[in-house]
Amino acid sequence: MSGQGMNLTLRVWRQAGSEAKGEFRFYQLNNVSEHMSFLEMLDVLNERLIKLGEEPVAFDHDCREGICGMCSLMINGQAHGPDNETTTCQLHMRRFRDGDTITIEPWRAKAFPVIRDLVVDRTSLDRVISAGGFVSINAGNAPDANCLLVPKQDQEKAMDAAACIGCGACVAACKNASAMLFTSAKVSQMALLPQGKPERAQRVLKMVAQMDEEGFGSCTNTSECEAACPAGISVDNIARLNREYLKAVVFSDEGV
Amino acid sequence: MNWLRCALSSSVGKKFLMAITGLLLCGFLVVHLAGNLLLFAGDEAYNAYAHKLHENENLLHVASTGLALIFFTHLYLAVSLTTENRIARGRGYAENQTKRENLISKVRPESWMLATGLGLLAYLLLHLADFTFHWRDVSHYQGLEPFDKAASLLTDPVTIIGYTAGFAFLFAHLSHGMSSAFQSLGLNHPKYNSLIKWGGIGFALALGLGNFSLVVWANL
Repeated sequence: MSGQGMNLTLRVWRQAGSEAKGEFRFYQLNNVSEHMSFLEMLDVLNERLIKLGEEPVAFDHDCREGICGMCSLMINGQAHGPDNETTTCQLHMRRFRDGDTITIEPWRAKAFPVIRDLVVDRTSLDRVISAGGFVSINAGNAPDANCLLVPKQDQEKAMDAAACIGCGACVAACKNASAMLFTSAKVSQMALLPQGKPERAQRVLKMVAQMDEEGFGSCTNTSECEAACPAGISVDNIARLNREYLKAVVFSDEGV
Repeated sequence: MNWLRCALSSSVGKKFLMAITGLLLCGFLVVHLAGNLLLFAGDEAYNAYAHKLHENENLLHVASTGLALIFFTHLYLAVSLTTENRIARGRGYAENQTKRENLISKVRPESWMLATGLGLLAYLLLHLADFTFHWRDVSHYQGLEPFDKAASLLTDPVTIIGYTAGFAFLFAHLSHGMSSAFQSLGLNHPKYNSLIKWGGIGFALALGLGNFSLVVWANL
């Protein structure tokens, strides 16, 4: 279809290991098709590097359809690139112009140490989730479909919060490297539903404590996280987290 | 009381304290400005207000100690949170740009809260230097009634520049600080979110312009 592709200059963060120093390296990539996804463009770069006998650029990816939360690149200073509610794998090269220089960096946060090149360790987010513990559920046969009534608006808010794919873009985009949007989404999805009520207070206290222990920053309400989130998680959840925390501290039996 | 210490030293708890102390300081600013606007009402009203305020020195000491406590809590949290947040980022980005849309201005007050806060601190020191500690030369208004003292001080060039800058910092600081405080306290709802946002900016503007009007008044 299209004849000549784009000629791009890539400025990529290269770091041999977690302890290595790391630096930006420039790569010239010619004839890039506008139909490629951003990750396919990196695949092409890596194939060329392998042919040249150089180390390919390490980057995280898995499903490549925007739902797994593995891809995680800071592209020209924007988490997941310039599009809203789009993961890096769903970003396409038609968003760029011939002759562009594209800066690609890993997420930067103390709680996300670089493993290699553009790959960071995001298990700190997993530990925040596990700190939340289990949800009490009925064992045995599946309960009757309508025996537990959930108001539609609550169910929708819970589902919106549950859309979080845990990619860490909120942390990457926040000037404080705060994981407040992530934690608030995980707290909200449970707090809004009746199934999450028994452990409601304990969950928010433990998750916030774990979030602090991991070394994430504090929220200064700049809403950068909301704009960067590929799942469209709203900062309303952060306000809910603050309310849940206050309620748990003041009214619950936790920490007596 | 271990639970309270734990809660207040958590990231969410610190933001609570930040919000509450900030709102309390705003309350003080409203009362302080309301009193000072009596300058427009003339010397009799203003002097009566000033003398009445200083009649009960003990009460004034308790109030100013409480105010100082609130102020230093806010300041301490600002510095410690900013330090923690810098550490949480670690190595910064070579390039960084926002993905937020419909921004009112390119210069975003939320990115400059510590700077505008420290600017306010500098203004406050200048203000207290004249009215409380008498660090600057006081000979030209010594013995004057409060109304004449205020009118004389507000025509001093250092005061004019320092105060105008101070009120600009106040506007910038509160244009984010007010709505941010509500969010930190969990007060967020589609019914009143826009009221909080625009009300916060309006409040910041009212306090900034209200205070600045006194400088204008003195120099007319």
